[in-house]
Amino acid sequence: MKVNQANWERIARVVLGIVMLYVGFGGVVAGTLGTVIAVIGLIPLLTGLTGWCPIYTLLKTGTKKA
Amino acid sequence: MAGETGNSITDLMTRLQSNPHPVVVEFWAPWCAPCRAIEPALNRMGEEFSGKVDLWRINADEQPDVLRSLKVYGIPTMIMFQGGQEIARRAGAQSPGDILKFFQAAEAGEAPPARTLTLFDRLLRAGTGLAVLGLAYQGGFNGFYLLLALVGGAFLFSALYDRCPIWRALSTRVQSWLVGSEEN
Repeated sequence: MKVNQANWERIARVVLGIVMLYVGFGGVVAGTLGTVIAVIGLIPLLTGLTGWCPIYTLLKTGTKKA
Repeated sequence: MAGETGNSITDLMTRLQSNPHPVVVEFWAPWCAPCRAIEPALNRMGEEFSGKVDLWRINADEQPDVLRSLKVYGIPTMIMFQGGQEIARRAGAQSPGDILKFFQAAEAGEAPPARTLTLFDRLLRAGTGLAVLGLAYQGGFNGFYLLLALVGGAFLFSALYDRCPIWRALSTRVQSWLVGSEEN
């Protein structure tokens, strides 16, 4: 997996993922909606941590400068 | 082809300077389990790159002065030389893929790409791990939050896994077992 995100984007994704986890599992939004938000939050969290976005790969683009 | 070196650092450096091909020198010992684990992959690369990159193996027990002179503080260690000049080195057990990259870089006459995590990656992973652990702590580590704590712990560990000697020893054994399974 080749990194295709700039550092600023990786930080933004990780922060977004943690906020979504907090909203979902921290009790801000209860019930099924909260769980859905938290699970969706895992996507930016994991893509930010790895620095690899599969959609960028498919579109052959990215924010990381060569 | 794998070969044995001479008995002194002067002899070794002379041979390295006059050798027509890049040389990968591996420091090993018969009692060293990680050395034995990487040996099949190393020998395979030695044969695969025969005539392009030479593999020399030095028994650390027999030539401690050579290790001291080259500042080799642990085994296994691989050092890449070209024209007697050190180009790169790798300490500790390496995966077959990393050994292949090391030999490919030696053939190209350049240092292999950095294998370790960048400081940015380490900080990002450690920060995320701590944040997720904090969330699990807030939930009291009960039920689902215990699972969340494990995920946070995994993120935290991923920031430092390559520095963990237990992880390196275990991963080397698993890799050598996998390589052995493929060859049988």
